[in-house]
Amino acid sequence: MAFLALQLLIRRALLAVPILLCVSALVFLVLRLLPADPIAMSVPPGATQADYDQLRISFGLDRSLPEQYLIWLGKLLQGDFGGSIFFRRPVMELVAKALPATLELVGLGFLLGIVIGISGGLAMFMTRGRWGEQVLDGSTTVMMAIPEFLWAILLILFLGVVLPLFPFIGRLAPDLTLPVPLTGFLILDSALSLRVDLLASVLAHMALPAFALAIGIAPLLMRVLRSSLLETIHEDYVTQARLRGVSESRIVIRHAFPNAALPTLSLIGVQGGFMFGGTVLVEMIFAYPGLGNLMIDAVRNHDLPVIQAVALIYCVLVLGINAVVDVVYLAVNPRLRLKGRPA
Amino acid sequence: MIVLSERSRAAWGRCLSSPRVLAGACLIVILLLVALFAPWLAPHDPQDQDLLSTLLPPFWMAEADPAYPLGTDTLGRCILSRLIYGTRIALYVAIVAASGAMLVGTVLAVVSGYFGGTIDWLISRAVDIWMAFPPVVLALILLVGLGAGVNKVILAIVLIDWTRFCRVIRSEVLVTMTLDYIPAAKILGFSHARIMLKEILPAVTPLIITVLSIEMGIAVIVEAIMSFVGMSVESNVAAWGVMIADARTTMHQAPWSVVFPIGAIFLTVLAFNLLGDGLRRALDGRLVQRNG
Repeated sequence: MAFLALQLLIRRALLAVPILLCVSALVFLVLRLLPADPIAMSVPPGATQADYDQLRISFGLDRSLPEQYLIWLGKLLQGDFGGSIFFRRPVMELVAKALPATLELVGLGFLLGIVIGISGGLAMFMTRGRWGEQVLDGSTTVMMAIPEFLWAILLILFLGVVLPLFPFIGRLAPDLTLPVPLTGFLILDSALSLRVDLLASVLAHMALPAFALAIGIAPLLMRVLRSSLLETIHEDYVTQARLRGVSESRIVIRHAFPNAALPTLSLIGVQGGFMFGGTVLVEMIFAYPGLGNLMIDAVRNHDLPVIQAVALIYCVLVLGINAVVDVVYLAVNPRLRLKGRPA
Repeated sequence: MIVLSERSRAAWGRCLSSPRVLAGACLIVILLLVALFAPWLAPHDPQDQDLLSTLLPPFWMAEADPAYPLGTDTLGRCILSRLIYGTRIALYVAIVAASGAMLVGTVLAVVSGYFGGTIDWLISRAVDIWMAFPPVVLALILLVGLGAGVNKVILAIVLIDWTRFCRVIRSEVLVTMTLDYIPAAKILGFSHARIMLKEILPAVTPLIITVLSIEMGIAVIVEAIMSFVGMSVESNVAAWGVMIADARTTMHQAPWSVVFPIGAIFLTVLAFNLLGDGLRRALDGRLVQRNG
C-alpha cells in the first residue's frame, strides 16, 4: 500500500515537471506581451535615462526573450525567484511570508467545506422525498449562484458590519503581536506559544474568509454525495442489510456512505484546485496577507517577477492537491489496490 | 430518422415542461429585455452625478427620495439606473465570451475525438496544462499581458474556458464514435468534414447547449471579478463589479448599496444555472431513465 502510494506520487511528480515547464513558459510569454513598461513605472520621478537603463539591465530586461526565460528558470531551480520591482525586496521573502497564510486559510476553508458538504449531502439523502430535501436542494442552488468573493462581501456586511460579530481585516487584532514568528502558520504559532487570546483572535479573523471559501465547494459536494448515495440504495448489500434488520442510519453510515464517498472524493480534488483560485479575491477583500493579496498587488503594479512566481506556486499547489487526493483515493478504494494499477 | 425525430421531440417536450428550464429562460428573457431597453427603463443617466444627494437610501426607508428608487451612491448616481445599464455589460460578456469559448472548445473537441492519435494527444495535454492554473490566476495574468478592458476580458474568458467545453465534449465525441453510424458514414466515403459536421456535431449538440448555459453564468462572474479589481471596464462605467467595488468603501454608512449589484449578479447567474441544470436533467439519457 505504502509502496503503491509512493509509486503514484513519483509518477505524479514526474508528470508535473513538463506541465510546470510549459506553465512557466506560458506565463513568461504572456507577461512579455505587456504594453506597459514596468521599469518606467517604478523609477523615481527625478530619474535620468542612465538610471533607467541601469535598472533595466539589473532586472535583465535588455536581453532577448528566450535568454530572459532561461536565466529566470535557471535561478528558479536554485530557489531564487528574483527581486520584486514594486516592493524592492526578494520575491522569495514575500512568497515565504504569504504562503503559510494562504495554506492555513485554504486548509481551514477546505475542512469547513468538506464538513458542510458531507453533512449536507447526508442530510439531503436522509430527508429524500420530503420538504427537507427541497429546502436543502434550494440552498445549494442559491449557494452556487453566488461566487466566493460575493459571499465574502455579504459575510462582511452581515456578520462584520450589521452584526459586528467577527473581525474582517487581516490575520490578527492590531493590538496583539506574536511573541516570535516560528512557522508563519499563525494557528500553529499561537498554539505553540500557549496564548489562548492569540489563538482566538487568529481563528476569529479566519472564520469569515474560510467560510466564504467553504461555501464555494460545499454545494457541489452535497449534490454529488446525495446522488451517489441514491445510486447505492438499490445495491444488493443495502437490501440485504435491511433484511437483516440493520437500522437505517447504520445502513447509511456503514454501508452506503463508504461506497458513495468515492465520486465525492475525486470531486474534492477538482474543487481544491478551484479553492486556491477563490483565495485570490477572498484574501484581497479581507486584506488577508496571503498569496492572493500579493498577486493582486503585483498585478496592479505590473510587478512581473512576483506575478510569475505566485502564478507558478499556485500551479504547484493545484498539482499537489490533485496528487494528495489521488493518494487518498488509492488508500480508501480497495478496487484500485487489488489491481495494483493506480488510475 | 422517424425514431430520431420522435426522440428529439420528446426531449424538447421534457425541456419545455421542466420548471428549471422555464424559470431560467424567463429570467434570461427579462434580463435581455432590461438590457435592450435600458435607456427607456432607467430613470436617470447612469453617469449623472448629483453631489447634493449622495448616499440616499432605497425607497422603503424614511429619508428616501422617490426620484431615486434604489438610492444613490457616493457620487449621487442613481443605483437603479446603474444596475439597469450594468445588465448590458454582463449579458454582452456572457453571450460573446461563452459563444467564443464554445466555438474554440467544440472545434478542438470534435477534431481531437474524431482524429485521435497525435492531434488528440496534443490537445489533451494542452487541456492538462490549462487545468493546472486556477482560472482566476490565469485570467489575471492574461489581463496583465493584454491590458485591461471589457473586450480583453472576453478574450481572456475564451482563452481560458475553451477547456471546459473541450474536455466534456471530447468524451461525448468518443462515445459517439463507437456508434455504428460513424463507421457506416466512413464506408459510404463521406468526407471528414461532413462526418464531423453532419454526423458527430448533432449528436453532441444537447451537451454543447447545456455547457454553454453554465458558461454564460461563469462569464458573468468573471466579468464581475475583473471589473471589481479594475481590470475590465473603465472605473466610471456602470458595471456590477465596479458598483460593488464602489459600494464596498461605504459599507458602514450605506450597507444597502452593495446588496443590489450582488443581487443582480445572483439573479443572472441563477438564471443561467437553472437553465443549464434543467437542460442537463432533461437531455441526459441516464437521468431521464431514472426519473421515469
